[in-house]
Amino acid sequence: MDPKLVKELEDIVGEEYVSTRPDVLLTYSHSASTGYDGRIPGAVVRPGSTEEVAEILKVANKYKIPVTPRSGGTSLQAEAIPEEGGLVVELLRLKEITLFEDLRSVRVGAGVTFGQLDKFLNQHGLWVPVYPESSLACTVAGNVVVNGAGPGSTKYGSIAEMVMGLTVVLPTGEIIQTGSEGNPNAPGPFLRYSFGPDITGLFIGSLGMFGIITSVSLKVYKRMKHFDYNTYGFQTHEQAQRFVIEMKNNEINVLFASFYEGQILQFFMEMLGEEYGISKTDWPPYTVSVVIGHVREDIVRSDAALARELCEKLGGYVINVPELPRGEWEDRFRTFARASYAHGWHWRILYHHHTPSHWRRVIDVIWEGLDKFGLLGHTAGFATGHASFNFYPHIYFDPADKEDEGKMRQMHSWLAKRLFEVGAVPFKIAPYWFRDVPEMNEYLRLAKRIKKELDPNNILNPRVLGGE
Amino acid sequence: MAEIDVDELREELLQCRRCGLCREAVYEAAGFDGICPVWRNTSGFETAFMRGKIMVALALLEGRLDKTAENGESLFQCTLCGNCTQICPAEFEPARTLEQVRTVLGDISNPVRDRLADGILKKDNPYDEEPSAKRRWIEELEFEVPKTGEVLYYAGCTSALRLPQVAIDAVRVLKGAGVNFAIMENEPCCGSVMLRTGRYEDAVENAREVAKRIASTGAKRVVVTCAGCYKTLKQDYAEMGIDMPEIVPMAEFAKELIAQGKINLSRDTEQLVVTYHDPCHLGREMGVFDSPREVVESVPGVTLVEMETNREKAMCCGAGGGLRSFDGDLAKKIAADRVRDAYAVGAKTIVTACPFCEHNLAAGAKIADENVEVVDIVNLLARSMKE
Repeated sequence: MDPKLVKELEDIVGEEYVSTRPDVLLTYSHSASTGYDGRIPGAVVRPGSTEEVAEILKVANKYKIPVTPRSGGTSLQAEAIPEEGGLVVELLRLKEITLFEDLRSVRVGAGVTFGQLDKFLNQHGLWVPVYPESSLACTVAGNVVVNGAGPGSTKYGSIAEMVMGLTVVLPTGEIIQTGSEGNPNAPGPFLRYSFGPDITGLFIGSLGMFGIITSVSLKVYKRMKHFDYNTYGFQTHEQAQRFVIEMKNNEINVLFASFYEGQILQFFMEMLGEEYGISKTDWPPYTVSVVIGHVREDIVRSDAALARELCEKLGGYVINVPELPRGEWEDRFRTFARASYAHGWHWRILYHHHTPSHWRRVIDVIWEGLDKFGLLGHTAGFATGHASFNFYPHIYFDPADKEDEGKMRQMHSWLAKRLFEVGAVPFKIAPYWFRDVPEMNEYLRLAKRIKKELDPNNILNPRVLGGE
Repeated sequence: MAEIDVDELREELLQCRRCGLCREAVYEAAGFDGICPVWRNTSGFETAFMRGKIMVALALLEGRLDKTAENGESLFQCTLCGNCTQICPAEFEPARTLEQVRTVLGDISNPVRDRLADGILKKDNPYDEEPSAKRRWIEELEFEVPKTGEVLYYAGCTSALRLPQVAIDAVRVLKGAGVNFAIMENEPCCGSVMLRTGRYEDAVENAREVAKRIASTGAKRVVVTCAGCYKTLKQDYAEMGIDMPEIVPMAEFAKELIAQGKINLSRDTEQLVVTYHDPCHLGREMGVFDSPREVVESVPGVTLVEMETNREKAMCCGAGGGLRSFDGDLAKKIAADRVRDAYAVGAKTIVTACPFCEHNLAAGAKIADENVEVVDIVNLLARSMKE
């Protein structure tokens, strides 16, 4: 890294927050993404304010150096892996939280994790009821740039649905504010769709290629205290799929509904059943694990009764193993990480959305791929928002076996294409979804035109639209 | 710790999937309010917390990073407090693994590590003081203590050389309770800091000598006031295959004595709001959480309040893993954080059960500028005992 550039960065943030040490650079070459090649950046800078981020981007433009924004480093699909020799802007020092109780909103700096925010809001009897399953290390802003989802999403959708506005530093260093806070005289964040088109949405799921988000304003809700946990069993996938749709149609307050194929659930239970206190169960071919929640107990009770009725009407039965959904919900900050790492395998993931009615198609494609490439893996998924389903197929590999890892990479690429063919959609922009997919050419062209306008020197996360 | 197989160690390190929970997880329902005290109190780059340290360790072991002192620095900038192990969702123990890494990468230059080990081997203490200095506190006693006996009080280097009041009050408690105990003529260092900093082979040699000298006292029970000595003599020596008599932490021993009615705490004492700081070696490592609290609560006039992080999830005082020697300023900054934790819950006194913690927390109290007193559990007991 050019020493003159480093000196300019030091002048902005102070010497202690810039590093070009080889050991430090090495640790920013990767994130939580496994099965991707790391890239060693040329410098890491840790700004302490939006204004410092703006100054850093002006310097990066002057030197035309690629920049990768990063916060918790928890992303699983290489989003925060930097450019070789580039600059990493690490945002964890942006820790401010401001509550607007009367506006039912909160503004959080890009360094605030979901765990930290939840603790803060809990003091006020509030929450943001969408939790990525890396909540203990993942920042809210980081989750917004990948448009994540998790427990709570069945009712409230992806994190995008919680966002009311953003503070963004554009690649050229200008600071913009979206949502109602775009008016500096406004009392705070209370309306996302202000001033016309949804500029906020441009940055959600953008992987930071259009600008660096330095704060996020979010909706907050009264924290629920009443829950019902239960598991519902079905013999056919059509029954299970219909059950989820009918719960939605009947406005049952399902915070989290997960789909499990019998053999997948058995696999999870062998790993973690005992830890979560789940008794040995003869799981049916299809299980839907459901968390119903509300601020009012009477509604939870009536919703639970209705869920049972719907399940039985469809030919299913109540399994009565509440420990599964209870564990998923009560340990929602950590369950996914625990389930993903307990078995010792390394894996690549391919998050995507589909629909409850196409659940089986996704499973079939994933099994087809695993057979074709001779690999192990699994998938499960959860209902997300109005009519969507979030799947998270894992493809296992042994990092010590290069051939195995190579097959995994091939399958990941193959799977993205096959899933696209059966109607899957990604919830963020990502090169592996677009590569060699002609149906997406027009969309990509538009994204590139916007990118060129906002980032004339193509410094921010240039890999996102340019292939790996 | 047995012989280290480097391939197995590498496999252990690869268990880390870089999820990052070991940085600053705030998980209120589970009692976590942050994980890594080093990350909090430094510039906060990835090398500060365990995820980064593991990446550095792998790169050094695989030759992707040169074995320079600078590249190895982050491996030693860790208290080995084990809070990361508590939160880690993978199937390994990061702190213990890092301790092994320090051993395997022993060829990386670290003069502080070597000075500590050489001091222990040559002078029976890591503080570079003459061995005779360790008996100074005994000379202050107004009574003779035998050098052999079935119960041995093992003071440890920090009590003997830095906080003699801990050792003095420990023997006052023992004597007051009518315990026939002995103190060694030449008490050696248990070698804890050698193990933590990667001088494993020297630590084994030292341990054999320690075991021999303790055996010569005829002790059947060894009472310790230092959490580091406790873990080392009981757990690490066992892993080395060295037989030892029963090792008992003072908190457990005092609890027994109180239950037997041998410690009379009837003297009126001032009303005190105290909090108990769990030493990492006593708590997380050895699972001793209740007895110190029970002893504290048995003292008349004392109200025990808990800090936000406590027991298995307690934040570290900052002294362990050799950090107090490698980077004293950082260790004290971490201690200041812990003092603020105590102050936040209204405690005016921090009680702990490890002189190494006490020593560092007292330094932290000065930085935090909080009017908080730091004492050992034996100080509290001795103050409250009827003469």
